[in-house]
Amino acid sequence: MSVIEARDLTRVFPMPAGPVTAVRGVSLAVDPGDFVALCGPSGCGKSTLLHLLGVVDTPSSGTLTVDGEDVATLGDVARSRIRLRKIGFVFQRFFLLPMLTAAENIELPMAEAGVSKSERAHRVHELLEYVELSKRADHRPSQLSGGEMQRIAIARALANRPRLLLADEPTGELDQTTGQHIAELLDRVNADGTALVIVTHDAVFARRARRILTMRDGVLVSEERVR
Amino acid sequence: MRRARLWVMASAVTLAVSGGGVDAAEPAPGVLISRQLAEAKALSPGSQIRLAPGGDGQSAQTFRVLGIYEPTPDPMEISESKFKVRLHLPDMARLVSGPADLMAAETVDQVNLVLRDPRQASTIATQLMTGTPGIVARQARAAVSGAGTFVVIERFHLAIAIVTIIASALFLLALSVMLVDERRDTVGVLRLIGLTTRRVLAQIFLESLVVAVGGAVFGIGLAAASQFAINRYFQWHYNTALVFVRVTPGVVAVCLAIAIPLGVVASAAASWSLLRKQLMTLARR
Ligand SMILES: Nc1ncnc2c1ncn2[C@@H]1O[C@H](COP(=O)(O)OP(=O)(O)OP(=O)(O)O)[C@@H](O)[C@H]1O
Ligand SMILES: [Mg+2]
Repeated sequence: MSVIEARDLTRVFPMPAGPVTAVRGVSLAVDPGDFVALCGPSGCGKSTLLHLLGVVDTPSSGTLTVDGEDVATLGDVARSRIRLRKIGFVFQRFFLLPMLTAAENIELPMAEAGVSKSERAHRVHELLEYVELSKRADHRPSQLSGGEMQRIAIARALANRPRLLLADEPTGELDQTTGQHIAELLDRVNADGTALVIVTHDAVFARRARRILTMRDGVLVSEERVR
Repeated sequence: MRRARLWVMASAVTLAVSGGGVDAAEPAPGVLISRQLAEAKALSPGSQIRLAPGGDGQSAQTFRVLGIYEPTPDPMEISESKFKVRLHLPDMARLVSGPADLMAAETVDQVNLVLRDPRQASTIATQLMTGTPGIVARQARAAVSGAGTFVVIERFHLAIAIVTIIASALFLLALSVMLVDERRDTVGVLRLIGLTTRRVLAQIFLESLVVAVGGAVFGIGLAAASQFAINRYFQWHYNTALVFVRVTPGVVAVCLAIAIPLGVVASAAASWSLLRKQLMTLARR
């Protein structure tokens, strides 16, 4: 069974100057362990699609199932639960909580999911090691570099062992070398079994994926199998 | 009726005190003097003083200080002299009835009664009035003519309080909206991670409760401190025991009852508007 399966997703934004259709009839399935890169020119609807897949936004029409569960009919609480347990999100701008330390940022989703304190501590330790930032556990985001913040954000996204990680231009704010490190880290996350969907403008990064989907004007126009 | 005024003759006092025990057959009549007078002239019980009915010191008489009292603080007398003496009525009559004194012609025509048992006031007033024709006797409270002033002042205070509360409520609301808006990213992140709207709202609610209670407690502390400072200063300035400011439990209760719900409601309202926004727009910033 696919981790997520989208069928005919459409997202229309009603605007004063007339409705904007950001995503138009997109169908897409992501299998466990899959690695999908989403490319296309600016404004073609990549972020909008990613938000739909991540149960952050609601489609105007079409269906979306996560782990076989139809998401369209769910209310706020159930949708929050899916975001918390099944999907990890990584953003271009990291979105760490500034008043929490790196370790606390990673711990937050686990605390919310009701994981026991000792288990949380163990997992935080494990994740910090995974992203090679054990020495930065007690640093606040303002005391971290961009690359370090993104690694902490990835660790946080992985905290509740989601089956799917969505990343919207995760290297967009980073220099080339740092971006490459993040790309390698995400590669490793995928190799360890988490399905990935990343939006990226970086062609080299995109080639790490198994499939490259290209969008134009809200429509999926091509799919390329890389490996 | 004018109150009989007594001038204390500073020189006479010194004389009498330095004179030590006066060897009169009869001891001088006793008086009570105000604390302020005792402090200013270094008098204590047992001191001899000379009091005259007029400012010129004519026909002064010797009295013996029996005790010192704290004058009942009276806002109406705030700027008046605190040098006061209490005499027995016959002594006072003898003192002021000097032939040279124009005020000697004054007679008592009104008696204000202050009784331990106020219920007896009307009975005693009637007794006095029938027994002494020409005298008006009545219970003291009815005689206080300044009461109307206080009503006006109280209304004035109420008006100030209402204006203050409305102004600070608006200020608080604006502040909460700003604070919550500053936390827009945080709220967005929490929602994206998978906290429910209700959960985030509860968190904000709790936080604003803590802030509101803390703010109220701080405000009360500030009020208590300024109460102390204001009273100390003006009591010193006017040399009186009058209490100028009093933060009563009632005032504290009203403040808490207004401030805490106001603070909580203000930030809840502000957060609600934020949480109603589409989650996606939060992710886009
Ligand atoms: N909340 C919104 N309200 C109205 N229109 C929107 C909203 N979000 C996106 N759009 C519109 O939808 C279209 C697709 O936007 P989207 O952000 O998905 O593009 P994108 O492919 O991610 O672009 P970029 O590569 O620059 O990030 C754009 O034309 C955009 O203006
Ligand atoms: Mg985008």
